[in-house]
Amino acid sequence: MEHFSTHVVHNAPICERYHVMKLGWPPRFAPPLPGQFLTIQPPPGTGALLRRPFAVSDYDPLLSQIEIVYERRGSVTRHLAACRTGERLDILAPLGRPFPEPTGNARPVLLAGGIGMGPMFFLATSLLTRNKNPVLILGARDSTLIPELPLFERIDIIIATDDGSRGLHGTSIDALHSFETDGNDMNTEYFACGPMPMLRALALHADQTARKCWVSIEQTMGCAVGACMGCVIPVHGGNGYARVCTEGPIFDSREIAWT
Amino acid sequence: MDLTVRIGDVTVSNPVGVASGTFGYGSEYEQLIDLKSIGALFTKAVTWEPRPGNRIPRIIETTSGLLNSIGLANVGREGFAKEKYPFLSGLSCSTFVNVAGNTEDDYARTVEWLDEHAPLTGYELNVSCPNVKEGGLSIGGSPRMVEVVTRRVRAVTDKPVIVKLTPNVTDITEIARAAEAAGADALSAMNTLVGMVIDVDACRSVLPGKTGGLSGPAVLPVGVAIVYRVSRAVSIPVIGIGGIDGPDSALQYLLAGASALQIGTANFVDPTVTDRVLEGIRSFLSHHNLTAAGEIAGLLDR
Repeated sequence: MEHFSTHVVHNAPICERYHVMKLGWPPRFAPPLPGQFLTIQPPPGTGALLRRPFAVSDYDPLLSQIEIVYERRGSVTRHLAACRTGERLDILAPLGRPFPEPTGNARPVLLAGGIGMGPMFFLATSLLTRNKNPVLILGARDSTLIPELPLFERIDIIIATDDGSRGLHGTSIDALHSFETDGNDMNTEYFACGPMPMLRALALHADQTARKCWVSIEQTMGCAVGACMGCVIPVHGGNGYARVCTEGPIFDSREIAWT
Repeated sequence: MDLTVRIGDVTVSNPVGVASGTFGYGSEYEQLIDLKSIGALFTKAVTWEPRPGNRIPRIIETTSGLLNSIGLANVGREGFAKEKYPFLSGLSCSTFVNVAGNTEDDYARTVEWLDEHAPLTGYELNVSCPNVKEGGLSIGGSPRMVEVVTRRVRAVTDKPVIVKLTPNVTDITEIARAAEAAGADALSAMNTLVGMVIDVDACRSVLPGKTGGLSGPAVLPVGVAIVYRVSRAVSIPVIGIGGIDGPDSALQYLLAGASALQIGTANFVDPTVTDRVLEGIRSFLSHHNLTAAGEIAGLLDR
């Protein structure tokens, strides 16, 4: 875990509302892993108080850069969207537990819902590099929220939109069902990030099909380092709650007490 | 330059502490700041038995503030002694265990047990948590109950006992005097202010427990006024808490009459805030040709 000031290397929209930002990552720091996140201190003038968490969406050791994909939504992300190359941001990273390695020779099936795509891009790239043959299922509300990225040329990708304006008409879970009924109902393991209803549906499906399933959970965070107990989610066992920032954000879907 | 602060028989190295509930049990921040530079660390609350804490969501940001309803989630006295104490006992800064309870018995028996199994510098009695149904605020709102709880704890330990006051009362000076009369060595002022946020679209209160405790820069003027009043009502040291996020807010408390400080919510925003505050106090002393932090209060409205 490092607390440092770094500079914006690249910052540009990738589709309607979503942007990608690359930041300098000092080479002496341990590399971030897929599933981990960083927090950014709200810059002055945003009127915001708490640091904002963002999942790491890529890491380039050669250029010493990390990347986040973010949605322009509130005062902080609007400020980020206006950041120019060279501007400095206050970063705390890398935080949280990463995605685990796929078990044995299971084929990793990655599900991304909406802005949950960021960490799935990082995991996809990492699995591709290691010849793990991942499948990426990307679900969005409509075609304006689907970016065009070089990664998509290199990976088996299925796109689904709620309104059918791009790819399959339906959710990422619908896309998963159609992928599996197309003869891909084999030895697979799920990795996912997206809205809670999507993760809940995937966890249920993983239970019914006896597959392993890892989900990245989002929660409002206070400290992001395990001190404040603010970002918990209900889990089975222990005292009934786990901290998303330190015990997560990646959880085995069977640990979570879905409500 | 003398930055030390006396709390009972203990000398704390400098006035800058970190507030209970915002700094875990120290180890969470070990990689981010030099814990030796802190004057005093006030632990997350410890209760007799473990507590899971409140339902989610537990925190929400407000304008310049943070509303929380954590519910004293903690591992209990035995978990504390086993899992948290070894790290804390190795620190060179002063370490105060924040003790919370439901009943007047809880405080004294927890302090007595900790004195035997996990002794640190001293105790801060949390008689003022707004997020638990029993104890907490209901004790902290009553001068008689504060006096009883403090007196019973005083009887079981020789270590410094600090009472953390709630601002959610009619006359805080009355509570402060009750704690002093019962033998408290210092007072922490203040705990969070009761607050509530409603989601208008959903017509629902955001926190499951309806209300929570407000902290952050939004509460600074309230805390400064409370310290100003309390420090004039008692002769024991007052530790200022509430909205400190840098040298200016810290110095407002010291000018108002605080002998020491605790930084809370700002640790989440900038883990180096304690260093910045300490440096700001040093510069202020130099600028005013003072030799001790304790002289700052004398400058107010001269």
